[in-house]
Amino acid sequence: MMLDKILIISKYTFKELIKSRILYVTLIIGIALMVVTYVATEFTYGVPEKVALDFGLGMLSLSSVGISLFMGASLLFKEIDSRTVYMVISRPVPRWVFITGKITGLIFILLLNIGILTVMTLTCSYLLGGEINQAILMSILFNFLESVLLLLVVVFLSLFINNTLATIISLTVLLLGHAIKDTKNILFVQQRPYIQYVLDLYHFVLPNFYKLNLKDYVIYNQTLSLDFLLGSFAYGVCYSLFLFFMIIFLFNRKNLD
Amino acid sequence: MLKFENITKIFKPEFFNQPFVALSDVSFEIPSGSMVGFLGANGAGKTTSLKIIMDFIRADKGLVTFSSELGEKRNDVFRNIGFLPERPYFYPNLTGREFLTFMGQISELSSDQIKAGIAKWASRFKIDHALERPLRTYSKGMLQRIGFLATILHEPKLIILDEPLSGLDPIGRKELKDVIVEVHREGKTVFFSSHIVPDIEEICDRVVFLKEGKLVYDGPVDKLLRSGQEIDYVIKFKTDKKINLQSTIKSHQTFPGQLHSITVTESNKKLILKELMALDVDLSGIDLIKPSLEEIFYHIKAN
Ligand SMILES: Nc1ncnc2c1ncn2[C@@H]1O[C@H](COP(=O)(O)OP(=O)(O)OP(=O)(O)O)[C@@H](O)[C@H]1O
Ligand SMILES: [Mg+2]
Repeated sequence: MMLDKILIISKYTFKELIKSRILYVTLIIGIALMVVTYVATEFTYGVPEKVALDFGLGMLSLSSVGISLFMGASLLFKEIDSRTVYMVISRPVPRWVFITGKITGLIFILLLNIGILTVMTLTCSYLLGGEINQAILMSILFNFLESVLLLLVVVFLSLFINNTLATIISLTVLLLGHAIKDTKNILFVQQRPYIQYVLDLYHFVLPNFYKLNLKDYVIYNQTLSLDFLLGSFAYGVCYSLFLFFMIIFLFNRKNLD
Repeated sequence: MLKFENITKIFKPEFFNQPFVALSDVSFEIPSGSMVGFLGANGAGKTTSLKIIMDFIRADKGLVTFSSELGEKRNDVFRNIGFLPERPYFYPNLTGREFLTFMGQISELSSDQIKAGIAKWASRFKIDHALERPLRTYSKGMLQRIGFLATILHEPKLIILDEPLSGLDPIGRKELKDVIVEVHREGKTVFFSSHIVPDIEEICDRVVFLKEGKLVYDGPVDKLLRSGQEIDYVIKFKTDKKINLQSTIKSHQTFPGQLHSITVTESNKKLILKELMALDVDLSGIDLIKPSLEEIFYHIKAN
């Protein structure tokens, strides 16, 4: 029963977002991908399929991040601002069902965006003679996980602060989450234990987005150990679930005014 | 149907602001089958009260209880309530039909029930021509109507409306009031807020009156009307003579065509009528002036 309602809410959230034409961005990226691929075949010697793959995966990641950041921040804000949330939760719809439905609807949008760009990237790469291997698919899966995690970070923050601030802070958390691994290896930091201490704390508390970034492995054909993959995957899923339950917990207690 | 007991709501200060008492110890009751108007000036606390009833925000003190005819569990209670927020604005890219279908589905209606409900009401609300259009193309009045349609689609037993008539033109108000009266006649309990006193006077049997977060009145409309000042009468007549009455009158106006209109108190009415008869005027009417809620509204405001 509640599952039905979650699906109904996610369906209409999806519809509303689709009709707001955000996926035009996906299509534009797709077209850009084809143009870049064409240019690459004309001008690069040796590895045009790598260019297509590199560009495609980069754009896939960037557009997912963009959708999570901007759509995620306004997901609740718009509902409360236009008082549609009042219409919905004045029906037999508990708050956790509402918020789960909203988030799921947006996750479907992310999936669609990733799906379209995956097909286009792989097609371009394949036509140019590139191979489609497990690492590529793995990287895309992790990309999806990254954007879901980011989406949950934004939604979580938007429960306390306004949506612009939530976007900015989430973006910062994302960038730091990617940079932290390299930062720890800088000599300057290694020589200063107190900075290391702060970084360790950060490392422990905030999401380590770098764990979900497999693009370099794909591009440079490095091999991935199963342990690493499983560990990172579990990390992403657990962190996401933790945020998700926090969101439900806080949203249940939030004053909607 | 609904009990609102000893509710106090204090908005906590943000940084250096003072805490603000939006509702202080407010109690009232919505009896089953009644049509209750919720009256109060801007900022009196109407929307805050409705949000507390709907559990969107929580009161600092007090209790809201729904009677068991709505159901025992929270879900059953809310399935039997229809709520329309003030100035509603819905998903702009969904069409009217999609929005209504969505609202029907989360209210646990079957698709046949939804179709039948839309078919029944859309033409009444004159939005049937726009159902396939996205809501962003709807005018304010159309949004208000489709919002009301969504509110009654699942045939709730208790209908709660926050300023349903605001933003509508006179014809739109009339139509919406007619529908409210109609669903009320079908046995639904209605509770709606408004600052437009004549609207409430016209269709409600009870009124809850808030002023600056405090309850001023909760009871039948006519009792509130009678609780006003003394009842006055207007006497209209025609004469070409000069009028010089012995008894005191409250006011005297003359109009073209030798028409006179005087206002007298209940106790003076008989004496003055005798005098007028003696003067042999052409009497054209006597009317009772009921103090309108409007007057009481401002009267209570002034005190
Ligand atoms: N979130 C909030 N924080 C602080 N004060 C608030 C908040 N919400 C409402 N108030 C205050 O509570 C008072 C009552 O507001 P409310 O919206 O209930 O009034 P109302 O009777 O619905 O008025 P109107 O007729 O204008 O809709 C107002 O003074 C308002 O400023
Ligand atoms: Mg209000």
